Amino acid sequence: MKNRKSSRLTAAVLSAYLLLPLLMTLLYSVFSKWNDILPEGFTLRYYAELFSDKSFGASVIRTVLISILPILFTSLAILLTMYVVILYLPGLEKYIRILCTIPYAIQGVILAVSVLALYSNAPGLLSDRTLLLTGTYCVAILPYMYQGIHSSLLSVNAPRLIEAAQMLGAGRLYAFFRVVVPNILSGVVISAMLSASIIFGDFIIANTLGGNYFETAQIYLYQTLFESGQRTSAVIMVLFLVTLLISTIAFSLKKKERRQE
Amino acid sequence: MKTRKYPFPALLPFLILVGLFELLPLVMVVFRSFMPENGIGLTMTHYVHIFTTRLYQQAVLNSILVSSVSSVIGIAAAYFGAKAVHEGGPHLQHFFKTILSLTSNFAGIPLAFAYIILLGKVGVLVLWGKKFGIDALANFNLYSVWGLMIIYVYFQIPLATLLLIPSFDAIRKEWKECVSLLGGSSFIFWTKVGLPALRPAIFGTVSVLFANALAAYATAYALLQNNFSLIPIRLSEQFVGDITQHKEFGSALAVVLMVLMVASILMNDAILKKGPLLLSSPIGKKEEKT
Repeated sequence: MKNRKSSRLTAAVLSAYLLLPLLMTLLYSVFSKWNDILPEGFTLRYYAELFSDKSFGASVIRTVLISILPILFTSLAILLTMYVVILYLPGLEKYIRILCTIPYAIQGVILAVSVLALYSNAPGLLSDRTLLLTGTYCVAILPYMYQGIHSSLLSVNAPRLIEAAQMLGAGRLYAFFRVVVPNILSGVVISAMLSASIIFGDFIIANTLGGNYFETAQIYLYQTLFESGQRTSAVIMVLFLVTLLISTIAFSLKKKERRQE
Repeated sequence: MKTRKYPFPALLPFLILVGLFELLPLVMVVFRSFMPENGIGLTMTHYVHIFTTRLYQQAVLNSILVSSVSSVIGIAAAYFGAKAVHEGGPHLQHFFKTILSLTSNFAGIPLAFAYIILLGKVGVLVLWGKKFGIDALANFNLYSVWGLMIIYVYFQIPLATLLLIPSFDAIRKEWKECVSLLGGSSFIFWTKVGLPALRPAIFGTVSVLFANALAAYATAYALLQNNFSLIPIRLSEQFVGDITQHKEFGSALAVVLMVLMVASILMNDAILKKGPLLLSSPIGKKEEKT
């Protein structure tokens, strides 16, 4: 029982410590003045201003678009690769795994400047900032997408499943894409959500490659930082809620999946 | 088996993606770091410059200092946090895990701004410190290495705790019973049995934390733009911004950062990479769900 009590205390202290900055930002966004011990002047003005600002809405939409595209492309690329690996070239798996783990070891700033240095003066389509940003995000989320798809394939025992489907007369392609893929779809969606929250929180890649060419929500946030404190808090709270929503959906999907098993 | 033709086009999207945006850029950065500025040849000047110029020495040292100290504090807090989850009831587990995953999303610019509100020049805690005469708070300088450290510690704790919680599942009740039957206290149990059993997980988590802090950019940038001497800041200013670009020198900085990160990840290699391969896994064996 003593253990229970002390663990409750530890959890309470840590929770308070972790929630404090978040709570302060929330308070800061709904009060107009904080020059004394307590804030004064409750108002929702900053949120109203924010939502009437067209460039904020545009930056959020841009962020959503730049998340969806890489997630779709990376899922497809990994699924196609795993199809070949499982059915034709099992020996390839080691190398695919290494290639998918590299971005994890060189996250963020290194990847962004490497891509920029190589392509900023490239001719034609390759120096297009939107394309560079999309490609880099694809690679940045590769470890998470691979991990998710790989462990889903493992948990449905994909090789066995395909064998069974083939015995029943299905072709290879059919067995993989009509039998295996629907079974791992919820696992793929969960890693997609995780990837979306990573892209939503990214500043360095967006700032290096997108900058003024492709202003994401994080870039918008950085610019408000020098204008108004309350406005910045409001932007932070809105973005935080969006990220929260994404991870809540992922979390509830995960729960559902576990219950089904 | 070897003669069976495989559908090569299916591999193309992956190969194009990895080739264009992962391998080629990285290989080129390594090559470029050995090239003289605006010329062709082979040189070590950029590396010599990094390790002999005060500005860049400082950046390397600061990065290592901030990352290692914040990782150690983070893992210590995470140990107690994960232990609390391990020993606590289901309600505490659910509540605390929710807080952890909630706050693990709070990083980068938002986090830096929250700390500016709290401990910046006119921060709330600084204000309270002045009102109530707490000098440590009233004179706190957020815009210093130690201020940065405080913010880094904050984002390390939820990550570290979430990574450490599953490893506590490996600690069996029977072990505790054995120790207490032999007359050992709970303290003896944790120092002699619990911690040694957790050691691989702890080292693995520390290496993730270290790499995570090394690469962190947005927090420091939001606080003081390019005025903090950290590797990621010095690195990015060689490529982006108002000053003239020094791609070759910047590449050398990138390689230094890469080596540091890979070194810390390699320490963790044994733990992260030894997951089961898809095809060599025993039939019917499911991945352990935690």
